[in-house]
Formats: sequence, C-alpha cells, structure tokens
Amino acid sequence: MASREKQLSALLQTSDPPRGLVSQLVQRLIYPFRYGEPPKPRPPTGFYTDTTVCIGCKACEVACKQWNQLPSDGFNWSGNSYDNTAELSATTWRHVKFIEQFGEGSSAERGSLDVTVSDHNRWLMMSDVCKHCLAAPCHQACPTGAIIHNEFENVYIQADICNGCSCCIAACPFGVITRDKVGGHSHKCTLCYDRQRDGLEPACAKACPTQSIHFGPVDELREMARKRVEELHRRGVPEAYLYGDAATDTYSELHSFYLLVDRPSVYGLPDNPFNPWLHMMGDYFRSIAGGLAAIVALFVVVFLLRS
Amino acid sequence: MPGESGYAHLPVTKVPGWHGLIAWDALLNGMATGLFMAAAVSELAAPAVFTPVAKVAYPVALALLLVDLGLLVSDLGDPLRFHHMLRVFKPRSPMSVGTWCLVIFSLPLTAAAALSVLSELGIDFERARILAVVVALPFGFGSAAYKGVLLSTNAQPGWKDARWMGGYLTNSALLMGCGELLVLSALMGQPQATAILRIAFIVLLVLNLIPLGLLFANLQPTHVRLYTRGQQWLVGVLMFAAGTLIPLGLTFLNDGLIFICGALISLLLGSWLIRFVYVKIPHTPPLEIRSGE
Repeated sequence: MASREKQLSALLQTSDPPRGLVSQLVQRLIYPFRYGEPPKPRPPTGFYTDTTVCIGCKACEVACKQWNQLPSDGFNWSGNSYDNTAELSATTWRHVKFIEQFGEGSSAERGSLDVTVSDHNRWLMMSDVCKHCLAAPCHQACPTGAIIHNEFENVYIQADICNGCSCCIAACPFGVITRDKVGGHSHKCTLCYDRQRDGLEPACAKACPTQSIHFGPVDELREMARKRVEELHRRGVPEAYLYGDAATDTYSELHSFYLLVDRPSVYGLPDNPFNPWLHMMGDYFRSIAGGLAAIVALFVVVFLLRS
Repeated sequence: MPGESGYAHLPVTKVPGWHGLIAWDALLNGMATGLFMAAAVSELAAPAVFTPVAKVAYPVALALLLVDLGLLVSDLGDPLRFHHMLRVFKPRSPMSVGTWCLVIFSLPLTAAAALSVLSELGIDFERARILAVVVALPFGFGSAAYKGVLLSTNAQPGWKDARWMGGYLTNSALLMGCGELLVLSALMGQPQATAILRIAFIVLLVLNLIPLGLLFANLQPTHVRLYTRGQQWLVGVLMFAAGTLIPLGLTFLNDGLIFICGALISLLLGSWLIRFVYVKIPHTPPLEIRSGE
C-alpha cells in the first residue's frame, strides 16, 4: 500500500502542472488572498454528549483518528486511570476522560474481590471534543481569518491559511486547540465537515456504541438533552444537568454541549467559562490612557522648557 | 497533585508556545515605538531644539522595529506564512490590529528615516519628512498599545487578570523611548535637548509607577499562587530597583553621558525582567505542584 502511494504521488498530476521557482513564490504570495464563494448557511449542527451512558470504549477516538488520518500519539502510561492520550491535541481531536470516584473505605480500593458498589463509588467517563462555541474566542483571536464559522455554524480551522501564531491557543478557555509540532499549524475537531457536506454524521458519533455522542441540528439536540435530564431526575439522578446548552452572562452557548452529573471541574472543564473579549474594550482604553498620559507629560515638559 | 487521578487538579487551558522570544519582542516593540513617539512629540513641540536628535532617532527606531518584526515572524509556527496576517483586518483581534498598525507604521517611519538620512546628505525634503512623522504617529501609538491588549485578552491564567498590562506597556514604551532619546542627545552633544529630556525622563519614571503598581495589584493573586513570599520580594525589589530606583538615582545625580547610559541600561534591564516574568506566568506551575520550595 505504501509503495503504491509512493508510485501514485510520483506521477505527473495533470491538475498541478510543474512550476518554476518564481511562479511558485508568486503563487504562495497570492494564494491566501483568493476568496471563494461562501456556501449558503445551513441549519446549525453540533454534538450533545450524554456522559451517563459513556462506557469509555474509545471507539470515538479511534474513529476520529481513522477518518481524519491523524497519526498515533504512541502508547503512554499516564497514571491517570485508563487515559492514555491525556488531553486533546493537534493529533487527538477526541479524548475520552476517565474519572474514578471511590471513597476511602470502598471495597474496590482495598483490592478485595468482594466488590460492593455504593452510590458514592462510581466511574465517570466523558468523550471530550472542541465545544464549537457560538462566540468562539479562538475565532475572535485569529488574525489570519483561518478560523471561521462554516455553513453549519461549526468552528473550523482552514489548515491552508493558519500560520501558527497561537493566538487561538491562548484564547481558548477549554484548552482545545494545539499547534502541531511538525507543520506548525493549529488543529482541532472539524466536526467532520467533509462528512457533513456529504450528508454523513461525524465519525465519532457514528462509531459510538452507546449513543453517548449525539449529532444533529442543535435545536433538536437541546430538546433531546433536556428531556434526558428530566428523565434522569425522575429516575433518581437529581445531580444531572446540562453544561453549555445555554448562554451565561460570561459565555455563549456551545454547539457541543454535555450532560454531566458532577461539577464541571471534575471533568476538566471550567466551572464558569469566561470569554476574554468581554474585557477587550476596557483593556484598550487602559492601554491608550497609559500611553496618552506619558505623551501629554512629555509634551508639556518639552513645551514648557523649550526656551 | 502529582500522581493524583482525575482532571480537577490539571490546568484547563493550553499554554501557547510563546516563550522568552516574546519578552524580547515586547521590549523591542516598546523601544522602537517609544523612541519614535518620543522623538516625534519632542520635535513637534520644540523643533528648533529637537530636530537634529530626531533625525538620528528615526533611523534607529526603524532598525529596532525591523529586529522586532524579525522576532515576531520567527515566532510563528509557519514563518513563511507571515503574510497571511494581511488577508483580513479584524478589529476584534488584537493581533490583527497590531499587525496592521505595525505594517502601516513601518511605511511612514521608513520614509521619515530615509528623508532624515537624505537631509544629512544635503538633500532636504523637510515638509515631506514632517508629514511622514505626523502620519506615522497614530500608527506608532497603535503598534505600542496593541501588545498589552494582546497579552491580556486571552484565557491564560494570570494573563487574563492583567487588566493594566496594556496601560503599563504603552506607558513604559514612552518611558524607554524618552531614555533612548536622552542618550542620543547626550551622545550628539545637544545640551539643551539633554537638559529638557532629563527632566522629562524623571517625570516619566515617576508616572510609570502608577500603571506598574496597578498591574502588580492585578497580578497579586497570581503571584501568591505561583511564588513563595521570598521569591515575590526578590523579584519585586529587583524590578523596582532596576526599573525605577537606579535610573532615577543616576539621572538625579549627574547629567553626564555615563550616568545617563547607566540609567537607560538599568531601565531596559528592569523592563525586560517585568516582561519576562509576565510572559512566564502560564508556563509556571502553581507553588503547590512544585516540590522543594
């Protein structure tokens, strides 16, 4: 297979005729300034992840890597339960988290074979992914226009435009985006944009065997999620709630939201996500004020002492 | 804690790959824009006194700016794509605002520098030179003002709380610029310019304590989380001594070239230290995680 790929890549591509050095340079310079016709808006789509039915099988991680042709991260013992990938990265766009909540005196911790499971001893598992925020700080930060909201209102990085400035990494309050060490560009979940355009659901949702990951129009997902929370409350899980389904005072709604049964920080999510852009105008004001104060002081001293 | 399972103890955000290079970038940005603005303001306020110094200051500011732009480009993940920054203008992206300000600023600054050099060679386009200086002034100010906003408008621990980062950096740029202009005027043997700038430098040194104090107040909870009391005192005293006390003392003591150069060098050291400590905040693990301290 590999040798066949090499043979194919060595063939002359009719759509890509050979170019001289100057032509390549000119092409490289003008290429990013070419804009295509933007596609017509479609109904917003997203993920709703019900963590109560996640079994930690990592099929979503594997399907994501397979479909998006992401390289392996190697096999690492993280020391954190069954978590080997540790975090979302430029090559891991889905990450299953494992949280072991076992009390001090539980049978499981003592190593006894006679395991008794109480209400307070439990596993929490969650398949994490880009939140596809409606007002995404990464999108606001991006100076190249590489990060866009596509026609499905998903946050999408145009890999051929990104220049690896890392502003998006600094801006993301969820720690999703990472710069690739090889290419130097930022990467994250595309919400399988290519599959969506062809009418397919994202690979992770397709592979999930327990329907923990739901994909679809965001309005329908919210409705489904709220019914699920009500059902869980009726069935004796009063701590179930939705994270990110609605906007707060400090953050927009997420197009990838979660059903959780513990504090967000337990899952490695910010308890109160904050959009840094809420401070931006004030920061500009202080920046300008600081500079103007110095200019006025300098001008006054120079003007008064000039003669 | 090390070895603890789960995610509650782990940082949520990812640290961008901005390291020591950005501290140098922030310093050079302030030195270049500050020198230009100090020269421009002084020249426009008192042309008879400051025009000769300003004509030297503009080419120096351009040289500093070129080094700074080189650092900015080399810090990109893909430096050959630096021009992709110019395909859009996004007012809500401080980096986009800064990029455009720097690009536009560099054009009239180059013109002002070139015309200053030409006038020294006897080819004088005085009105065009002044026009270039006036056009460059707002963009030079923007180039200085964006940097702090870029470093505070994000989700990084510590950085996101630094509301006065922009105020301090912009003010500090003018202070450094005034110090550089003072050294240039002393080197060129301009006694009147040196005397005026010496007083201006002292005023700006005192004025700079206000945004610096406000920035420290912003970052106090972060400092407590990251550093021991001893470390906080050590770094605080070093910053205050190098950035304010020593330059102030040397400038007060004597107006000789050695004293003025010493004051500027001390100021630059202090300014670099502040920027370096600040840039390192997200890279520094909390005190409770570090062992042996």
